[in-house]
Order: sequence, then C-alpha cells, then structure tokens
Amino acid sequence: MKRLNLLLVLILILSSVLSVSAQDKPFDGQTIRVVLANHAWTDAVAPKIPEFEALTGIKVEWESYGEEQLNQKLTTEFIAGNAGVDVFMTRPLQEGANMEMNGWYYDLAEKTAADVEYDFEDFTESSRSATTFNGTITAIPLVTEQEILYYRKDILEENGIEVPTTLDELYAAAEKLNDPANEFYGFVARGQRSPLVTQLSSFIYSYGGDWFDRDTYTATLNTPETLAGIEMYSNLLKNFGPPGVLNMHWAQCIGIFNEKKVAFYTDASSLYPNLLDPTKSDVAEVTGCAVFPAGPAGAVMYDITAWGLSIYAESQNKDAAWEFIRWATGKENSLFIQGEKAQQLARTSVWNDPEGIKSFPADWAAAVAGSIGAKSYDRPLITAVTEARDLIGGIVVTAIEGGDYLKAADEANVKFQEMLNNEKP
Amino acid sequence: MISRWIDRHEKHIFPLPAVIFIILMMVFPLGYTVWNSLTNWTLTSKAPTEFIGMTNYIELFTKDERFIQSVWRTFYFTGGSLIIQVTLGVASGILIDAKKYPGKRIVNSILLLPMMATPVAIAMVWLLILEPTTGVMNYLLKQVGLPISKWLSSTSTVIPSLILIDSWEWTPLITLITLAGLATLPTDPYESAIVDGANTFQTIWHITLPMLRPTIAIGALLRFIDCFKIFDIIYSTTGGGPGYSSETLNIYTYQNSFYYFKFGYASSMLVIFFAIVLGTVLFVTYTRKRLEV
Amino acid sequence: MAAKKTSMYRTQRRIFSVLYFVAIFILLVIFLSPFLWMVYCSFKTPIELSKLPVNWLKGLTMDNYQKVFVQQNFFKFIKNSVIVAAGSTFFGLLIGLPASYSIARHGQKKLSMLILTSRIVPGITFLLPLYIMFRELKMVDTYTSLILAHMLTGLPFIVWLMTPFFESLPKELGEAAVVDGASSLRTFVSIVLPLSVPGIVTATILSFTFSWNNFMFSIVLATNRTRTVPVAIYNFISYASIDWGGLMAAATVITLPILVLAVITQRYVIRGMTAGAVKG
Repeated sequence: MKRLNLLLVLILILSSVLSVSAQDKPFDGQTIRVVLANHAWTDAVAPKIPEFEALTGIKVEWESYGEEQLNQKLTTEFIAGNAGVDVFMTRPLQEGANMEMNGWYYDLAEKTAADVEYDFEDFTESSRSATTFNGTITAIPLVTEQEILYYRKDILEENGIEVPTTLDELYAAAEKLNDPANEFYGFVARGQRSPLVTQLSSFIYSYGGDWFDRDTYTATLNTPETLAGIEMYSNLLKNFGPPGVLNMHWAQCIGIFNEKKVAFYTDASSLYPNLLDPTKSDVAEVTGCAVFPAGPAGAVMYDITAWGLSIYAESQNKDAAWEFIRWATGKENSLFIQGEKAQQLARTSVWNDPEGIKSFPADWAAAVAGSIGAKSYDRPLITAVTEARDLIGGIVVTAIEGGDYLKAADEANVKFQEMLNNEKP
Repeated sequence: MISRWIDRHEKHIFPLPAVIFIILMMVFPLGYTVWNSLTNWTLTSKAPTEFIGMTNYIELFTKDERFIQSVWRTFYFTGGSLIIQVTLGVASGILIDAKKYPGKRIVNSILLLPMMATPVAIAMVWLLILEPTTGVMNYLLKQVGLPISKWLSSTSTVIPSLILIDSWEWTPLITLITLAGLATLPTDPYESAIVDGANTFQTIWHITLPMLRPTIAIGALLRFIDCFKIFDIIYSTTGGGPGYSSETLNIYTYQNSFYYFKFGYASSMLVIFFAIVLGTVLFVTYTRKRLEV
Repeated sequence: MAAKKTSMYRTQRRIFSVLYFVAIFILLVIFLSPFLWMVYCSFKTPIELSKLPVNWLKGLTMDNYQKVFVQQNFFKFIKNSVIVAAGSTFFGLLIGLPASYSIARHGQKKLSMLILTSRIVPGITFLLPLYIMFRELKMVDTYTSLILAHMLTGLPFIVWLMTPFFESLPKELGEAAVVDGASSLRTFVSIVLPLSVPGIVTATILSFTFSWNNFMFSIVLATNRTRTVPVAIYNFISYASIDWGGLMAAATVITLPILVLAVITQRYVIRGMTAGAVKG
C-alpha cells in the first residue's frame, strides 16, 4: 500500500513536470545536429545559439564547413542514408535541383503554412520561388545577393569620368584608365573557370542572352546574344584585366582592388565588407557602388538567393529542427542579423524597417535596391550544375587566352545540349 | 601449448593482424570501386543505377578528351618533377657531402623541414607568395631586374609552377637519400681514381653516380608514386585551373566524384589510375632486379 | 716559383671554399624563406599583409593568433590531431612490427607487396566506401574511424621501414634464443624489439607526421567533434571573406610542432626517410 502511494505521488509529480514543460518547452531535452557553411550569417547566428537553447531546452550541436566541403560532406552522408543531420545550409542554385531530385529536402510547405506568427509571405517572392522546386519548399531563404559594379570614386573624379551606366561606357572608361605600364588596370572580375560563370551571367542577360530556353530545353550558348555577353566580359578582362586573371576568384580580385591597382570590379553585393570596411580595406573611403551597367537588353543582373536553411528529409527531429529554423530566420532574429550584422536577408519587413538597413552604406543600398527583382538565377538551373559551369567557363577561358572561342562555344553548346536532353522533365 | 602452437605457425600468426586489417580496410573499398566502375551511378541523373559493363572505360578512352589530357598532364607533371628533383637532389647531396664543416647538422635539419610540413598549409603560403600582382615573388624578381611570371595564373606556366612547389617540398628527400647513400660508399675506387689522376668531375661522373644508381632509383620510384597521386597542393592552389590546365588524373577524378557526383564514371578512372601506378611499380621493380642480376 | 704556385693554389682553394659556402647558403635560403614568410605574415594586419614594398615594422599584431586559439579554439583541433596521430601510430606499430618481422625472417615478398599496395591506391578510392562502412558500424565521427583510416597511410610506411631494419639484425639472435627454449613471441618482445628501438623511434615520428598532415580522410570522416588541424585551416576561408592573416597563423600553428619535432629528432627522421633506398 505504502509503495503504491509512493508510486502514485511520483507519477503525479512527473506528469505535472511533463505537462509544464510540454507547454513551455515541448522539445526540452532533444538534441539536433545543425550543419552550416562558413559564412557571415553563421558568424552572426552562432553566438546566439545558447539563447535558443535556454529558450527551448533543445540542445544544438552545430558545425560549419567551407562551401565546397559542406556540399561534399552532406552528399556523402545523405548517400549513405545518415539520419544524423537535422538542419543544414544549402545553396538553392547550386545543389538545390540535385538534392531535391534525390529527395533529401523535407518539404517545408506544411510547417510554413501552419505558422502564422512566422509569416513566410514576408520573404520576397523571388526568394521564395528560388527555393521552391517542383512545388516543394526545399529551404527557407537566408541571404540574397546581386551583381553590382564597384568602382574607385577618386580615380573617376581625377579623370573626369562619370560612373558608367552602360556596358559600352564601362568598356570605354576601363580602356581610358587602363595603364599596365604603371601597374594600373581598368577592370577586374573572376577569371577562374567555374567561379566566373555567375558573374558572367549578368553580362549575358544584359545582351539578351541566356543559358538555355527553359521551355524547350534548347541550349543557347552560341547564340549572337549570349556570345556578345561573353565577348564583352572576356574582352574587358583580356584587354584591361591584371595579369594572371585566369586564376582569380573573388578573393584575388578583391586583393588587387584593395592594392589600389584597379578602377572597376563587378561581383556579388555580399562581398562589400571586404572593400568598404576600413579594417579590411585601404580603399574603403574611395570605393563606390553602382547598379550593374545596362546592355542592349537593359540592365539585367542576377538577384539570387545564395543560401537557404533546410531540414533533412530523414531527420528524426523535424519538429525541433523547425523550431530552430523559425527562431533563426524569424522576424526578430532577422532584424538583428541584417540590422546589426549587415547581412542581406530576404524579409521585406526587415528592409522596410529603418533599423534593418542602418548598417548598410548608402550607395551600396541604392545599388542593391536598383537590382531587386531581376533574374533569379546566375547559372543554369539544372541538376548537373557544376559540370555545366565548367563547360561555360571554358569558353571564357579560351576567349581570354586569345583562342578560338567561337569554336569553343559551338562545342560547349553541343555538350550542354546533351546534358539538357537528360534533364528534360 | 599455445606458445608452441604460435611457434609452429609464427609465419602466419605474426602478420595476421596486419593482413586482416588490410583485407578489411582495402578489399571492400577496392571491390566496391571496381563494381561501381561497371555501373552508371550518377547522383545528378534521373536514370536508375544499373550495370553497364565496360561502357565507362570505353567512354573514357574514346570520348573524354579531358581524361586523356589529364593523363598526359599527370605524366608531364610527374616527369618534370622527377627530372628536377633527382638532378638537383643528387647535385646538392654531392655538394653538401663534399666538405666537412661544423653546423652540418643544422643544414640537414633545414633540409628536412619542407617535406615534413603540412602540404595544405604550405600550398596556401605558396599561393600567397606567387600571386602575380600582389605576391612577394614577382616583387623580388622585379627588384633584382629579372623577368616576372604569371606563375599559377596562366595555362602555360601553371604546371611548371606546381613542379616548382613540389620540388621545393621534395628535392630535399633526394638530397638526404643521396647523402645517406654517399655515406655507405666504399673508399677504394676513389683512391685508385686519384692515383689515375682523375679530376673531381670525372670521379663524380664515373664512380660516384654509378654506385649511387640503385639508391637514387628507389628514391625516384617513391617520388613517382607520390607525384602521380599529387592532390593536396593542386587542390589548394588552383583546383585544376586556369581552365583545365592543371587538372591531373587525381584532380579530375575528384572533380567527377565530388563535384559532378558521377560515382560510376569516377570509379572507372580510379581503376585505371591504380593500374597505371601498380604497373609502373611492378615494371620498375622487375627491371631493376634483372639489371642487378 | 714553387712557392708562387702553392699560393696560387691556396687562393684558388679559398675562392672555391667561398663559392661553396655561398651555394650552401643559397640552398638554405630557398628552403627556409617560405616558412619565414609564413610566420611573418601571421603577425600582420589584413591591410598590411599584402602591401608591397613590405613595411617591415608596420601593422604588426597578435590578433591572428587570438583568432586561432580563442575564436576558433584550435586547442580542440590540436587535441584531436594528437589523439588520431598517436592512436594510428600506436596501432600501426602494434600490427606492423610483427608483420615486418615475419616478412624479414621468412622473406614473405607477396605479403609485403600486399601491404605496400595500400600506399599506391589513390586516397579518393577510400573516401566513399569507408564512410559507408563506418556508418554501418555507427562509427562516423569517432576517433576510432579516423585512426583506422590514417593507419592506411601509416601501416605500409611502417612495414616499408621496419622490414629492412629487421633484415639487418643478425639472424643468430633469434636462433640462439630459440635454442635456449624461448618462444618466438618471447624472443620478439624481449630480444628483437629492444634492439630495434632506433628503427621504432623513426617509424613512430614519421607515421605520426603523416597522420598529422593528412587532409583527405578527415574531410569526410570527421565532424566538428573530431576535426583535425589540416581541415580546420579551412575555417579561415568562408563564403565571402578570406582571412589571410588568420590562415597564416593557423598554418604556423599546424606546421610548427612538426618542424620542431623534426629538428629535435633529425637523425632518426633522416634515417627513416632514406631507409629502404639505402641498404646497410
């Protein structure tokens, strides 16, 4: 009897404890594994993770990797069918189509629809469509970026040159300022085979070209419009670029820009702290930002969702995982990350809040605002993206080296068409 | 009892743990790779994975120019590295050995450093040094009036630059092997050479080098295996670029498996890769034995 | 006349001598300067780091090391690397020494070839299969899986190094012990091994170093908990920024322990690197 009583009391106590925690902290004691990229967004969120843990009782085991290592690691784990990953960072344009095809994303439609407070509609429409594949919401949009023009205010002023608004003006200005004898160059941008493709995209779009016709899946790498974009990009680099441009990724471009050796540079808006932060750059005071210059088809730059946050389809802790995502990408945290840490996010409410844009330099914010709503992709949207990028980048490398790029474009187009034939829905 | 049993079967018992380890850790991966090489396993393809026989191999040799080029490039890199490392390594070994002086051990210690250092870290340092516009190498060359180079950033100079980095790292190995070999050489042939009135260069050419040959051959074989497998340095400096101009066999295979996710196709490359290295090692070991006999 | 000739000869010798040391000096500068540059850059601020001409005393800072040890907590990665390197070396010796002894005593050429093959196989071959294997065994992100993988590079090296070493021991040793009634295991442990300490020291140092430097296995097999230093160096490269100063500080932290070890134990290391090529 006594024993029974004791048991009863115990059960009572336990159940009351459980019910309390069920109301406040339904996931108390759960552990989730979060795999992130080495990224400024991660740097901004990571120090706040203990707050989330205290708030929900969920223990977060997080780790971060360089972007290529992240993709390789996740792919290896997913192939082997590892259920250990719960939340992961992903690049919708790079691995999105492939991971979706392999069924590795958990469809967030249900979670986002049920959560009124979270307000998924607050994310820009282009960012939401960028992370939606075949009706599946694969990821919550994290950071966005556009291609913009960085230039040296002081050099332009000294030489009486206006900020170029068209690609032809850019070409003329770069030509005028180019002075290789004194180690000063007119223009720099990525020259590495695969990385250059994304920055080439805005040139191609602005001449009216594209990678392929998305209705018929016909490759268009050698159409006059696409070739005109390729020519402009490679001529700028070939004629007015610094030596060794072919091994340049954005890091090398920025290195040389910060050495005061270049007048113009086109690349992603997200790179601006490297140029405009006085602790990182010597040219912070004299670097200007402008909207990408227009071509015959207008100024058609990319406006992409570079990263998203996803739940792994085989995660055992989907509810706790969603709890983490809704906290990390919720309105409050987003305002902090964009307002205090100057990350470019996709929530409209944050952009409309003066607190949300207080850290951005004025001309940079203007250049970004002028680019929003342009093309939502900066590379071909197919599953075999990396292979396609290598093919396309190869044309530009041939052109910069002074080879027969028309032939290279024809050959690449044939191979690209073969790839597209496999991708046709 | 047990110890008697061990004694009787010592030949089999002693190596047993190592053999089990190798079988567990190597046979599955190798078998898995060979099997994959006969399938069309591609992550980015909707087609189901199936057995396709020798198709991957046929495609490699008949259709894939990048593969053929990467094979030649691998031989170019390996050959270039071997020639430089063996020539400079043997020469510097003989040079260091030529005189006795205090502090020789310090010289030896410094020679050890490049090959002991972590390749990934070293590759980063070289990337910084060889940057054409902001790197310190071109700056120094300009200061002393020598022609500058684009180093890792041009399709024509990238392989020589990688050979330079690899040689910086590994020439000391040949130097040390040469020094060790020199220490074991008998002195009699030299004495008779001096009696015959031979000069320094003649003695090196006619006596030292022939006697060192077997030692150098092993050193060169070791370097061959590692140069052929070169990965860390290229991965961290150029990733195979500019264009495809530094894409060696190992890099192209890595590209196919972890960037294109063509696991079947990449596996067929691995099999060929393995066959080339194993074939060369067996060939060298075999001919060397015949030469010695 | 004769005196003049001798003095000419002497000057000639002196010139040769000077040229000789100049050559040695140039050699040392070539091999040392990248290290010195690495260490120097690790003390520079981001802005000053790529400034040319170099302003030697401007923009010096300890920030980069603060990032390595405080922000990135490299102590943890160093601890991981030490555990993995020590573990793979210990177990590599444990199974490699008896195997090499047997190969040396019984001339088991095929066996030695089998073990050495694992040195020839390109590393990528192992990545996916080993990951799948360890996952099935629930061993991903454990030290054990990394230790086993690193043994693949350590074991063949130990065998390659120790076989000729055991061959060089006088055969009579073992035989005498057997006559005295000692078991082969006993002979191996209490007579052969103590005589082989120099060889074992060499194998230990080099196997440790190879494991420490290994990059490929750790990318796939380790996660945050077991990540080793060569992978951790990539923490300084992120999506839209590269911290060259931090990178150089990390490179210094990674290479320095190995370099110090190499210098202290140089006699053993040199013997190890050259063993197999030089008989005797």
